[in-house]
Amino acid sequence: MPADAWAVALAIGELSHSRESDRAQRLSRNQHPARDPMAAQERRIDDTMLIREAQRGNRAAFEELVRHYDHAVLRLALHLTGSEHDAQDVYQDAFLKAYKNIGNFRFECSFYTWIYRIVTNLCLDHLRKKNVRKEDSTVTKDADGGEFDLLDQLADKRAGANPERDLMRRQLGARIAVALQKLTPRERMVFELKHYHGLKLRTVGEILHTTEETAKNTLFRATQKLRGSLADMK
Amino acid sequence: MKCEWLRENIVLYVYGELPDDARHELEQHVARCADCAAELKAEQDFHILLVQDRAADPTPNLLAASRMRLQEALETAQQGGFFSRLAFDPVNWLRQVRFSPALASAILILGFAGGIGTMYKIRPTDQGTAAPIQKASQAPDVSIAGINSITQEPGTNQISIKYNTLATQEVQGSLNDQRIQQLLLYAARNNYNSGVRVDSVDLLAQKTNDLQVRDALIYALQNDTNPGVRLKSLTALGTYVKDDANVRDAILRALVNDTNSGVRIEALRLLEPVEADASVRGVLMTLAAKDQSQYIRSQARTMMAQLPEID
Repeated sequence: MPADAWAVALAIGELSHSRESDRAQRLSRNQHPARDPMAAQERRIDDTMLIREAQRGNRAAFEELVRHYDHAVLRLALHLTGSEHDAQDVYQDAFLKAYKNIGNFRFECSFYTWIYRIVTNLCLDHLRKKNVRKEDSTVTKDADGGEFDLLDQLADKRAGANPERDLMRRQLGARIAVALQKLTPRERMVFELKHYHGLKLRTVGEILHTTEETAKNTLFRATQKLRGSLADMK
Repeated sequence: MKCEWLRENIVLYVYGELPDDARHELEQHVARCADCAAELKAEQDFHILLVQDRAADPTPNLLAASRMRLQEALETAQQGGFFSRLAFDPVNWLRQVRFSPALASAILILGFAGGIGTMYKIRPTDQGTAAPIQKASQAPDVSIAGINSITQEPGTNQISIKYNTLATQEVQGSLNDQRIQQLLLYAARNNYNSGVRVDSVDLLAQKTNDLQVRDALIYALQNDTNPGVRLKSLTALGTYVKDDANVRDAILRALVNDTNSGVRIEALRLLEPVEADASVRGVLMTLAAKDQSQYIRSQARTMMAQLPEID
């Protein structure tokens, strides 16, 4: 057993309290590891310790690990499903699955890649099951199961917002959402991870268990389809 | 640089996914090709449109509610123990396989194909030193390529280690032997030892009538990190500068982009038979006016002076 694992015989609660202020400064919820190499390195060390503790059955360690990634996971699920209720289900299923299988995690990839794999598989299942009632429908469901029109969403809460620009942005969002529904689940996933979440295509390939080259080709097809669907928009 | 290549890779350029050398080539091509410049502008405009649509952040309430719900579920959830990893869940497996026929086929093929993994079971002796008690197979010149997994059965001293091995092999034959050619092509692209790459390019230079060989030499000219390999590839390709447009373009790129002056000077020399070509003429004009190397500027001017005037 590696030496660093023995060094983590501390209550995870105490550990997280004492380092919370440092972590809050350096490791923000929205921070992408690639943008700050020092923070990424520190996070990797934190994660390794937390993963080993979680593998020994320490639930507090697992919950701490969840907090490192759950904002990004929820954001991905929310945008892909278009529904707060479905996003919560994906979030729940993903982290429960991670908890039950963390004993199988062998550090062959980063925990980031591993958890994203779980989430994307759940989202792909969701996309495959999802039926679009009308081809150009902008109607979807909210957390209570009620229907609403995408055109009515994304209300601008900023003071002094430009109503005309706000309307144009909502219309654009709705049109793009409809165009995205015409992509295959894999095309949608590659585009989502690259365009909305800024992942490198190499990482996208690792997450989807494919090559970078395949991810590139999929991105090309997805953007070609989107250009076709949105050709009249400027 | 072909227009078709550009159109297939323009999305990667816009998303910043092209390697630096390919990005540079694309920009050079766009500067000369109006159609591709228009296509690039259209793609960039479309990208600007898409960027205006952002993925919304989850609200603090949604995140907090999700965390609370997960916490409640974790209180009753159980982690998989050692034996649960071995348990086979046929229902879950069928559900996954139903949507993944390719995955199912791949698993079956891998299961029946001969693997290269070897598993040893090591049991500590009374003196505390491990001694192998069972070997599945062992090759005489075996070296370890990597360790896949290390597991210990709980409550026992049994440790299982899965590792991959490398086995050195040798093949002999003539340059006309297909296997020899395949290995030479592989060596020219992939070997970590530049001496081996130089040797392979040297031999492949004798078979430049083969298009696959020419492609490998073009690849080496454009991508190899060793200038000696690039120079040998360049010299080998020189014979085809008049007959093969891909070779001419590759040599032009080497003249413009290569970091080694020896490679650039040789490229300039090899382009003399095609100096009247429009693309070559265009590059010579630019080099004559702007190149950092005085020798290259001077040679480019000399070549331009020898060209007939265009009406």
